[in-house]
Amino acid sequence: MRQPDGSSSMLTTRVDAMLRWVRKNSLWPLPFGTACCAIEFMSVVSSHYDLARFGAEVVRFSPRQSDLMIVAGTITDKMAPVVKRIYDQMAEPKYVISMGACACTGGFYRAYHVVQGVDEFIPVDVYVPGCPPTPEALMHGVIKLQEMIQNGETQYDRFKHQELDTTA
Amino acid sequence: MTASSTKSSTQLPDAEALLPADAVISSARAADGHTELTVDRSRLLEVLRTLKERPELDCDLLLDICGVDYPRRDQRFEVVYHIASLARDHRFRVKVPISEDDATVPSAYGIWKAADWFEREAYDLFGITFEGHPNLKRILTHGGFHGHALRKDYDPGQRWLLTEEDSMVPAWATEELTDEDHLESQVLNLGPSHPATHGTLRVVVRLEGETISKAECEIGYLHRCFEKMSETHGWNQVIPYTDRLNYCSSMINGVGYALAVEKMLGVEAPPRAQAVRVILSELSRIMDHAVCLGANLVDLGALTNFWYFFQPREEIYGLLEACAGGRLTVSYARVGGLAHDVPADFEERVRYLLDYIPKFVNDVEKLITTNKIFRDRTEGIGVVSPEDAVAWGWTGPCLRASGVPYDVRKAHPYMGYEQYDFDVPVASTGDTYARYLVRMEEMRQSLRIIRQAIDDLPEGPVITDDHHVALPPKEKVYTEMEALIWHFKLIYEGIHVPKGDAYSFTEGANGELGYYIVSDGSGHPYRLKVRPPCFAIFQAFPHILEGHMVPDAIAILGSLNIIAGELDR
Amino acid sequence: MKDVPTINVDRGPIPFSERIYLGPIVKGLAVTLRHFLRNLFGHRDVATIQYPEVKRQYSERLRGRHILTTKEDGSLRCVACFMCETACPADCITIVAEEDPEATVEWEKKAALYEIDLLRCVFCGYCVDACPKEAIIMSRQHEMAFGAREEAVVGIDELRQKGPIEDQDLGYRPYF
Repeated sequence: MRQPDGSSSMLTTRVDAMLRWVRKNSLWPLPFGTACCAIEFMSVVSSHYDLARFGAEVVRFSPRQSDLMIVAGTITDKMAPVVKRIYDQMAEPKYVISMGACACTGGFYRAYHVVQGVDEFIPVDVYVPGCPPTPEALMHGVIKLQEMIQNGETQYDRFKHQELDTTA
Repeated sequence: MTASSTKSSTQLPDAEALLPADAVISSARAADGHTELTVDRSRLLEVLRTLKERPELDCDLLLDICGVDYPRRDQRFEVVYHIASLARDHRFRVKVPISEDDATVPSAYGIWKAADWFEREAYDLFGITFEGHPNLKRILTHGGFHGHALRKDYDPGQRWLLTEEDSMVPAWATEELTDEDHLESQVLNLGPSHPATHGTLRVVVRLEGETISKAECEIGYLHRCFEKMSETHGWNQVIPYTDRLNYCSSMINGVGYALAVEKMLGVEAPPRAQAVRVILSELSRIMDHAVCLGANLVDLGALTNFWYFFQPREEIYGLLEACAGGRLTVSYARVGGLAHDVPADFEERVRYLLDYIPKFVNDVEKLITTNKIFRDRTEGIGVVSPEDAVAWGWTGPCLRASGVPYDVRKAHPYMGYEQYDFDVPVASTGDTYARYLVRMEEMRQSLRIIRQAIDDLPEGPVITDDHHVALPPKEKVYTEMEALIWHFKLIYEGIHVPKGDAYSFTEGANGELGYYIVSDGSGHPYRLKVRPPCFAIFQAFPHILEGHMVPDAIAILGSLNIIAGELDR
Repeated sequence: MKDVPTINVDRGPIPFSERIYLGPIVKGLAVTLRHFLRNLFGHRDVATIQYPEVKRQYSERLRGRHILTTKEDGSLRCVACFMCETACPADCITIVAEEDPEATVEWEKKAALYEIDLLRCVFCGYCVDACPKEAIIMSRQHEMAFGAREEAVVGIDELRQKGPIEDQDLGYRPYF
């Protein structure tokens, strides 16, 4: 939404703010659930916690239809290309929450087949600690991501402006 | 444990006399109730075949094949087979030593189909070649992996990257078919990220029209190196790792592991700890079945049941969290007992759950059991005969749905299960519907066990007072020098488990969960092999699929309850 | 096989009453309708917790973020004995010890650096079990989210107990 010279007009900032508001309230998650965290993710979308209250009820397993990837569970070296490809297939703007110790850093699996954090190959917006995080912790992460989207602090915003700067 | 092993020893035939002459190098009665045979490689198949086919021995169930690496021995590797007879309740452990230069053994696939993936796993992680295996290739690690991860000289942190080019497609899937019959044929890839695969399973199928004519599974997408990690951690530090094997019922894994180590140490948990372990294990079993059925029903379009099942689950989580401090990964069991005593309102909360859970089970029962659409989709789908189920090494609810009433809690009672009155649910059809019915009934039987256990909950300590095994109570650590010294020694050196090996098995939510432990007397396991029930069940999946349609495949997969954490470890 | 009491769950062929769909469907609808009406009028069965306005009350054993407890003078109780670091299965604790300059006795150690990587931590509570001084306990604070990995490595200042011990949101600790 920026002018080529880097400034922005009042109209576009308003539109930009509205777009962000729309985006943050309709995060459609793609649960990339592999392990224990996926079970807690099920709890988050089920009756007790009900993620739908944050506009994120439409759980989509198709990357084309979702804009928030929740990496829930250990990512192994065998799985890494799959995660990467699914992330690439998602339409922009896209956000990533890394849920749980394994996805964030590898957790206590400092091992020969475990990726030591998904940020090795995809940009991560929010890291949620816990093994697995409680449902509240994940929802806290989603709320934090919503704030970040509103304030334009996500990795997507960062990269978008970088691209503009290089072309300008 | 001890009671059951003495019982089986009385029934045990003199194995050596029944086996082919001079085939056995040595035989002994192991302390864990197994008859241990050391066999030369050249006579292995002969011995295995006799074990299976001689009616006095009648070993129909191959439970596990694993490798052990002893770099200092002349014959570096040892292949260990665990074999059981369902009819006669005796068990054998067959060991075959082989050298590094010629690390080959004949494949047992021709005798028990269950050998299929277990042999591939030993090939992958130890580099042992099984001659005559139909499809010997890596199973858990990926195509770009070099070396064999469970060898002692392999660095636990040494990773290899996989590039996207190596997509691990079976050879038959890329073959060009020109034959007229195959005009309708196409290859379809399901997973590893697919809504119906619940985790990280991948199946490649060839379709003729809509019918699956050939299928192959690719697993290992969640291979978290549990066994290597346990070799680098202390005996008690392994417990948080075991929680993450079958994460739907983490308590059962932790208890199974603690029992295995206790068996080697010769200690026993106090009665109160045993009763609490039973209660929490059975609650975990209910949770596991609830997730399995809930997810299976979602795949079949019955979403409501998922919500109904998750309500009691949240309540059980609440109880586990109040006892242990974690909802899912409890880390509550310790070698010798439990980490803490249960909270004061434990009994009250368990009784509340006993009333609360059946409401939701009954709701699901009313919604689904008599529903014709559900029955049409599941009856006659994925039928497994009892012979096939045993041949594939199946245990647990899936085996019982095929009509074999084998339940470790009854066959080899542990942790005081012999004092509880419960029935083993069996069905005769062996189809997806039968597996659903068996799981539903098992939840009710688990409630029966819990009711008896809570009525009779003994008082007393929850962890053994043997300070070689368990941390002393904190008030003593703060005030007494001796307790403090024990505390320091246990944290820094860990438990010292005597040299030797043992196989201990419990009834996990999916079947027989076995731990084969080799100890060299140091503070951490030398080798820890998990016998995951899912592994044996899932290897039959491609064979069940043949002749079914893709929607049926989803129904069958859900009913098998494959938990990736346990499958890939 | 031993004789075990079994219970056969076979249901046999579908009886006529089930084959016509109607009965089971009415029964199923009755179940869902009962839940719906009870939720509509009674609010008795609504399981949803209205997070973040309403929070679930966890027990005092919940394993959340760690607290380093302090003595009365405000210094850490930790004597840098490395027990927690040894017991940690995730190796997420880093301690650097130094001589305590203010100690009344000689050769008293204290932690110059005490860091926990909260993203590595698996919240198993082994550090709390291992501590011989009750210097590390856990709080019930479990709602955490970080924007970067470096933010999650917390040191003494972030972990130190703030205010009197009764005011902490106490979670997993040696006594209950």
